[in-house]
Amino acid sequence: MGGDSIEFKQSSALTLGVELELQIVNTRNCDLTRGASELVALLGKRTHPGEVKPEITDSMVEVSTSVHERVGPMLEELCVVRDAVVEQADRLNLAIAGGGAHPFQRWSERRIYEGPRFKHLSELYGYLAKQFTVFGQHVHVGCASGDDALYLLHGLSRYVPHFIAFSASSPYYQGVDTAFDSSRLNSISAFPLSGRAPFILRWSDFVAYFDKMRTFGVVESMKDFYWDIRPKPEYGTVEVRVFDTPLSVEIAVALAAYTQMLCRYLIEERPFELSEDLYLVYGTNRFQASRFGLGGNLIDPVKHRQVELRDDILATLATLAPHAAALESEASRRLLEDRAREKVNDAGWMRGAYQRSRSLEDLVWQQTGLWRAGSSGR
Amino acid sequence: MKGFQFLPDWPLDGGPLLWFAVLLLAASLAGELASRWLKLPRIIGYVAAGAVLGPPGAGLIGAPELQTLRIFLEIAVGLILFELGQRIDLGWLRRNPWLLGASLLESALAFVAIFGVLWLLDTSPLLAAAAAAVGVATSPAVVTTVAKELGAQGQVTERLLLLTALNTVYAFLAVTMLFATLHLEYRGSWAAMLLHPLYVVGGSLLIAFIAAAAMLWLLQPLRKSEETQFILVAAMVVLAVMLAAEAKLSVAVTLLGFGVFTRLLDRHRRFVSLSFGRGGLLFVVMLFALTGASLDLKLLLAPATLFTAIAVIAARFAGKSIGVFALALPSALALRKASLLSIGLLPMSGLAIVSVQDTSALYPEFGARLAAVVLTVVAILEILGPLAAHFALRRAGEAQEL
Repeated sequence: MGGDSIEFKQSSALTLGVELELQIVNTRNCDLTRGASELVALLGKRTHPGEVKPEITDSMVEVSTSVHERVGPMLEELCVVRDAVVEQADRLNLAIAGGGAHPFQRWSERRIYEGPRFKHLSELYGYLAKQFTVFGQHVHVGCASGDDALYLLHGLSRYVPHFIAFSASSPYYQGVDTAFDSSRLNSISAFPLSGRAPFILRWSDFVAYFDKMRTFGVVESMKDFYWDIRPKPEYGTVEVRVFDTPLSVEIAVALAAYTQMLCRYLIEERPFELSEDLYLVYGTNRFQASRFGLGGNLIDPVKHRQVELRDDILATLATLAPHAAALESEASRRLLEDRAREKVNDAGWMRGAYQRSRSLEDLVWQQTGLWRAGSSGR
Repeated sequence: MKGFQFLPDWPLDGGPLLWFAVLLLAASLAGELASRWLKLPRIIGYVAAGAVLGPPGAGLIGAPELQTLRIFLEIAVGLILFELGQRIDLGWLRRNPWLLGASLLESALAFVAIFGVLWLLDTSPLLAAAAAAVGVATSPAVVTTVAKELGAQGQVTERLLLLTALNTVYAFLAVTMLFATLHLEYRGSWAAMLLHPLYVVGGSLLIAFIAAAAMLWLLQPLRKSEETQFILVAAMVVLAVMLAAEAKLSVAVTLLGFGVFTRLLDRHRRFVSLSFGRGGLLFVVMLFALTGASLDLKLLLAPATLFTAIAVIAARFAGKSIGVFALALPSALALRKASLLSIGLLPMSGLAIVSVQDTSALYPEFGARLAAVVLTVVAILEILGPLAAHFALRRAGEAQEL
């Protein structure tokens, strides 16, 4: 890739794919440990539906699903992949955990995965590359055209606080409670090309923008943009990247389902006019959600008023009911509704677990249990 | 000079404290030198400093001084074995049973290989078996110290530590059984032969369990910080070493068991997984310096013994390698890493010296004959072993980049 042009490869609308970046920890004190290369080598020898590949540090492994139209089969597939990863990790005495950041690892102890792209990133970004040991979920939604992808990109930005509050699972970082529900987003903000995409609505204009950026030497490929939401022309998708990796596959799939419902809603109903004004409140809303999770506030950029994030989420979920029915994802919609109503997210669960045991090691151990839960191996 | 009695006598007589300080200073400088300038493991420096200052070299530090310093050796061995015990995860053997197979196989083949070589060279079977049993053990001290120095983590490191802990236990079991056979040969008591191993293993595990339970209980009110925990652990380790020695049990099995039980019983991870940092290093440096000082380098000059020793080392390496390789793939280890793991297993336990001394104490005649061969092997591997482990972990790409 890193290619010459960024032709948008059309895909069938509203299809879904998910990538999850997972933590590899040792079973001794649950610190991050090396092992991605061995784990990937072992998994490569076996047949399983999804894909598993190494990421920037040797303490991270990424699993991804194939393309799905419905979340039901996606959940089944993800469970199979999860079980395969857990089973092989067991043979290597490694444990796998979800969560947006490791609660107590020291970034200076991380190693960068061997490989030219990763070596390059490490040289370019120095300590940032190692501090970037954070773990996210990426949701791809198929788009009929580049214009649709950009429409969805900017439309979804209105719901970025929802994504953050639901998925937040990085309250602890470098051994301390950060007071944030998602500290991971702060790590990403250090990168020059993070944040939001420029307000461009036509694919031809976006290509011009991209070419300009490449001529400047700012980027080499789309991969160099670390935006919260970005188009992925080679897949023909729009990619939502603000999610912390949840602690269990069930939540991961529910978040994918939520994204899919929202996309259907946006495409079919075109409920509000897109404008640069959407982004006036973007930073503030994003901060509120990552700091306070479901307890944060939201400034509605369309209706110009401040509401509780949770109320906004519940109202949105109610609106989405017909779309959930059409997409056969009512179960996911219910799950999220319950969590919003009870103000439960993974960050809250982690704080509760830590309160009980007073041990971050024990917290990570429980995270590995949550990830494993339902898997048959052990 | 009457009236100036407050002045000290000259020259000063520092006694053991002086030698402690001199040895520590020389060893740490030599370790730094080895690491910084020669890119070698620090252990080489520690051992060399001990050898140069001790009886093998300049003889500044003689046998009586070494005897007074031996207490540091015992504490160091205790700390290392405890740390190794609580670092390994026996649950891994359940999740990957081939690993247990590899462990048993490498130990068995090393035993058979050493026994075979010695037997071919016309050593009495009992002597050959005793030397082979001692040779099964990889050095926990060398392996843990090199792994820590490199900040190594990964499959080769984890497996090296696990296999080392296991083969140390096997070696002690085998040595104990052979002692029991000796009991029979020398004293003719069947009861002693049967009861001795049972007593050693059962007693060691009992003490280990009690020590672990007591320590976790004592840890409860303490703040969860490495410093406070280290002191408590050090005290408990010394206590366990003392009890095991006084009760004529196995210090190795007791302390490894202490570590393993500590981990198993600590369900709430109350216990900071200890890696003895600065405090522990003091004892480790002393351990290797004293090992260096106890080496009998003159043995290397006897061609017959030297030849036997080299044959034993080669056979041991071959046995361990075949064992590791045979089950590498089923136990999920790439062949390249299996070869590095085999090399990493090379260091031989300095505990061999202790067991030789113990044997000498129990059976003077037997011990003397065992000693020459084993001590020559130890002298060679005390240098070769750390180099091998260092090489293996670095080549596996598991060392921390510096």
